[in-house]
Amino acid sequence: MNRNYIYLTILMFILAVGTLVIKKANEPKQIEPQQLLFELIQPTRYVSTDQVAKMIIKNDPSLEIIDVRSAMEFNRFSLPRSVNVPLDSLLNNTSSYLGIAGTKVVFVSDNDIAADQAWVITKRLGVKSTYVMKGGLNQWMETIIDPKQPDPTEPYTAFETYAFRQGAQLYFTGSKAEAMESSKIKVEVQRKKKSGGASGGC
Amino acid sequence: MGPLFPNGIITGEWDFVIALLLGIIFGFVLEASGFSSSRNITGVFYGYNFVVIRVFFTAVIVAMVGMLYFDYFGWLDLSKIFILPTFLSPMILGGVIMGVGFIMGGFCPGTSFTAIAIGKLDGLVFAIGLFLGIFVFSLSFPLFENFFVSGNMGNVTLTDVTGISAAWFAMAFTVVALAAFWGTSIIEKKIRKNMTEHTF
Amino acid sequence: MNINQSTDNEPKYINPYLGGVLLGLLVLITVFVTGRGLGASGAIKSTVVATAKVIMPATVKSNSYMNSVANSEHSPMYTWLVFESIGIFVGGLLSGIIFGRVKKFRIEHSPKISSKTRLWFALGGGMFFGFGSQFGRGCTSGAALCGTATFAFGGVIVLFAIFGTGYAVAYFFRKLWI
Repeated sequence: MNRNYIYLTILMFILAVGTLVIKKANEPKQIEPQQLLFELIQPTRYVSTDQVAKMIIKNDPSLEIIDVRSAMEFNRFSLPRSVNVPLDSLLNNTSSYLGIAGTKVVFVSDNDIAADQAWVITKRLGVKSTYVMKGGLNQWMETIIDPKQPDPTEPYTAFETYAFRQGAQLYFTGSKAEAMESSKIKVEVQRKKKSGGASGGC
Repeated sequence: MGPLFPNGIITGEWDFVIALLLGIIFGFVLEASGFSSSRNITGVFYGYNFVVIRVFFTAVIVAMVGMLYFDYFGWLDLSKIFILPTFLSPMILGGVIMGVGFIMGGFCPGTSFTAIAIGKLDGLVFAIGLFLGIFVFSLSFPLFENFFVSGNMGNVTLTDVTGISAAWFAMAFTVVALAAFWGTSIIEKKIRKNMTEHTF
Repeated sequence: MNINQSTDNEPKYINPYLGGVLLGLLVLITVFVTGRGLGASGAIKSTVVATAKVIMPATVKSNSYMNSVANSEHSPMYTWLVFESIGIFVGGLLSGIIFGRVKKFRIEHSPKISSKTRLWFALGGGMFFGFGSQFGRGCTSGAALCGTATFAFGGVIVLFAIFGTGYAVAYFFRKLWI
């Protein structure tokens, strides 16, 4: 009789341990809805095209660009160093790209709608430091590839940005030699950022 | 697939037939386990008969663990089942009052029904007491209407409150229950030595 | 180990762990079928409201607690829990017949107290239990057993409150039982 009880105790214990195992496999851990909403309204989840361009130029190793458009669109045009993970396959094969400590994942699509969706999906699953490129590739075309000269009446920072964008334009469209120039401009961009930070504090 | 009623797989007419059937099984198991005797039940508080701990906690851990497996296999959608709402302070008070009633009367409502069924008048009187207790409560309800709904936390689960997944609670309950089964059998043996009768 | 004279007179109950597993499976099936758990005190509440509706209809109307139950088109007795509680009675009877425990009416009590004392305490205990079950949103079966089994926070609260209090006050009522 006692031996049967020992077997039953062990059986029950194994069954209970089993619930821990199945739970993990079955249901991915999700962040709280409140947390998701809170992060959703934070403007910091967006990065500007300028910031992305700067990081590409600096060859920032922490940057990871994920292009969520279809493979066809990706082949036609894509950002340098970006990897193509179409939105519908995002949940299947992202484990190797997402959640690596110290990397910043930037989602890119034509506009920011699809990229936003990718952001929400991954954020719900608790992936940290994911961002959306504001305005997507359309904005990229407007600002980096074909920057507009600012109006003379615009503030000094607009000209700084323009100068950076011209450099970036050369980097992304021109030959490799011209990339040297952009490294000079990079310094300017950092200065611009500082002044922006100060004005934000006022 | 499940739960069947909320998902509309079984419809209204079968409702009461199933209620009767489930009730019959419930009553049968309670009586067959010895819950129709108040002295068996209260043995849990004096250490001479731990049948309540055994039956109750086995049932809790089997149901808890089973619930998680049912959910895993997709048979039961745990998000659709009824979760008892939590009203913190009224529930604690209610539990304390019930605890006193438990030790005085020696039954809980379900077990008193089975006691009546086998002819125990104390079970019948307990059920009459239940009726009077609820009657008094209903009549005096306006006095503590505010307290009754205080501490409302909604239909929260342990996971909602603590953030720890249900599986860990199932695990914790199982470990505690299994330890209690072994521990209480030792206590029972010691206390029964001085008693001529311990199962009623 | 030790030979106990009373063992032969002891009633034959099923193995408590078997009973527990059966009860656990029953809870599981009940939740699977109905989406909610078992209960017992709810049926008595229905009976109370049904009775009150007959003997004091005006009070029921003005009492928000009873009125919420009494207000449906059906009789308050026409609920799931009432049928389930009838089932509990029938099931207990069946088990009693099978195991030979259905006998003439009797009162079970400790040899240290009289039948009368036992009945008074049973009545008082029932009143306490009924009163408390309304605050607890269910009794041992509805709140403590099924609530805990469905991982409801309230169920665990009620479970620990009942058993904790039981142990805390057990000493004062020991004469009733041992």
